[in-house]
Amino acid sequence: MDLEQLRKTAAEVVVREDVKYLIGWKQGSYGYRVAPVFVEDASGAAELLFSPLCTANLATYLTLVEKTPLPRGQEADKRKVALLVKGCDSRAVTQLIVEHGINRDQVIVVGCPCPGVVDTEKLAEKYPEQGKPAEVEWNGENFVLLCDDKETELPRDQFLAEKCRLCRHPNPVISDITVGEPVEPWTLADDNGVEEIEGKNLEERQAYWEEQFSKCIRCYSCRNVCPLCYCQDCILDRLNPTWVNRAVNFSENTAFNIARAFHLAGRCIECGECERVCPANIPLGKLNRKMAREVRDKYGFEPGVDPEAEPFQASFKPDDPEDFIL
Amino acid sequence: MSAMLLNKEKWPEFIGKLTGKNLWAPKLEGEAMRFAPVAEDEVPELTDGNTRIPPKNIVFPQTETMYRFQLGDFEMKEPELKEEMILLGIRPCDARAMVIVDKLFSWDVDDPYYLKRRELVTLVGLACSEPGLNCFCTSLGGGPASTEGLDLLMVDLGDSYLLETITPKGEALVSEVSELLIEADTEKIKMKKKMVSESEGKIKRSVDHKGIPEGLPGLWEDPLWKSVSASCLGCGTCTYLCPTCHCFDIQDETEGFEARRCRMWDSCMFEEYTLHTSGHNPRPTRRERTRNRINHKYNYYVDKFDVIACVGCGRCINLCPVNIDIVEILRQVKEAL
Ligand code: SF4
Ligand code: SF4
Ligand code: SF4
Ligand code: SF4
Ligand code: SF4
Repeated sequence: MDLEQLRKTAAEVVVREDVKYLIGWKQGSYGYRVAPVFVEDASGAAELLFSPLCTANLATYLTLVEKTPLPRGQEADKRKVALLVKGCDSRAVTQLIVEHGINRDQVIVVGCPCPGVVDTEKLAEKYPEQGKPAEVEWNGENFVLLCDDKETELPRDQFLAEKCRLCRHPNPVISDITVGEPVEPWTLADDNGVEEIEGKNLEERQAYWEEQFSKCIRCYSCRNVCPLCYCQDCILDRLNPTWVNRAVNFSENTAFNIARAFHLAGRCIECGECERVCPANIPLGKLNRKMAREVRDKYGFEPGVDPEAEPFQASFKPDDPEDFIL
Repeated sequence: MSAMLLNKEKWPEFIGKLTGKNLWAPKLEGEAMRFAPVAEDEVPELTDGNTRIPPKNIVFPQTETMYRFQLGDFEMKEPELKEEMILLGIRPCDARAMVIVDKLFSWDVDDPYYLKRRELVTLVGLACSEPGLNCFCTSLGGGPASTEGLDLLMVDLGDSYLLETITPKGEALVSEVSELLIEADTEKIKMKKKMVSESEGKIKRSVDHKGIPEGLPGLWEDPLWKSVSASCLGCGTCTYLCPTCHCFDIQDETEGFEARRCRMWDSCMFEEYTLHTSGHNPRPTRRERTRNRINHKYNYYVDKFDVIACVGCGRCINLCPVNIDIVEILRQVKEAL
């Protein structure tokens, strides 16, 4: 990735009169961290970064904007928001357009074709994080870790993030400006990422998820980071009636996690953010991926690839399979 | 205070003597370490690094049943708290955090639930020989071998643990295992001092908080709050995992005709935390919420209780999904003063 080109493009976008800010990635404060950054002027664009450490899906910020009442006489800022996206992130933008969560003409999508990002947890396990921010780059085949003036090649098959192993859209599916050359989609892992779960019988599944959900501390990071969890009035925050009790125990945690999985069926674009941020290390990816597989296999539907598509949960076809209805 | 020595060969025996006493120790669940009960035949290994989930839920459970009642009946049944417990391997910062939180729960009214649990728990600390990447306890009056709040401190000396008793509770625990211990000689005390100073030297992060508590009110409208909170997701990670965060909500929950009143953790980073019934929210955006998080720790708490409500455990930094880093925020605060 040519960072100069990225920064130049971003600077050009951000100075446009119809642009409020550009959301991108910058180097984090230590180790392998990368932080989202809101760039408001051309000079800020110099901080921007696109590297195998840029796992975060920034599309979540499109709907995370807090709408406070405007002081009398003040006009709402209707300028556009520009956003850097990888392939998976662009699917979130597309899905938001499909759902009318955002207006197409309110965003400028700056597409970054993505050769795959690293799993920072695996990376930190092998090469512990240090106080000084480290860099990771692509070198064609593999990743390269640059730390303490040392270059270490990281084999792609060992360090590639799980979501990328199964990614079918490394090139942004929607973009107004593309930075860099399209990448060649790679051969997918031949498993579907949920075989382990599918191999279990009902009791084993119950036991597995019971153990997982019992760990949940209900911090709602998974919900808040998810670009497609953006209901203004989330069922989880409801107090009257209380659909899901705030008490933290297996039963309520399960109600929460299953509600979220169902609300995302046919909408989750498998960016893996929920799993990445979960402080309790609950394999949320498995849950959402399983739902996505079901939707794809049964209904031939894949969310976030076609901005003209009808939302899955709002589209009924007479020949939809209904063998699961008792 | 006495200093005794436990040879690591005797570790299983030592644990064996404690397991019947409701012993808890750090346990790895997946990749997330947290405190869990130690089973009768289990011998926990104490590893480097702090638990990801802080032990605050031991004294301040995430969901505390205050009392139960039947719908239509006015009789309240309070749960009885009486089982003593031992927390083995708590890090010095987390024990200090409890001392800090004690001030709040014994302030205007004594909080019976919290204080009872505090009374029932014995804190057996473990000095840190390998501080984490984002530890900055030494900036805030603590340290890898700080004893504040602990009943007993263990220091890993390679083939043995040095056990320093701090309170009568600690003495009592040591006396129960005394046949496994020998008196520590000056050589061992020297080794401990060396280990502690080496450990302190490994702490890389620091906060210079001089002037911050007094200076924060003057920065109320400073642009820094907007920039440091721009990417915040408003989740519960930094507060739920903070050993000193202690906000709670009280809600009634029913199951059929059974009902209970519970107290559960709440977070000032949640949108509904300050939401009024009228719909008005005095902290309408993540800017105000982030400002509150920092002010509460580094200003209001100091004002009220004369101590900073942050022990520098680094959890909020380690686990924030978007790299919002309190050390960095405080650096910017300091600069803006
Ligand atoms: S991020 Fe993990 S711990 Fe937090 S609410 Fe989601 S599943 Fe639970
Ligand atoms: S559910 Fe998880 S993987 Fe799916 S879109 Fe949301 S954050 Fe991404
Ligand atoms: S953990 Fe990070 S993103 Fe979540 S509320 Fe705290 S500062 Fe914001
Ligand atoms: S504010 Fe952060 S560093 Fe300070 S005690 Fe809380 S979690 Fe630890
Ligand atoms: S902050 Fe200090 S006491 Fe706490 S884990 Fe780190 S080194 Fe140990």
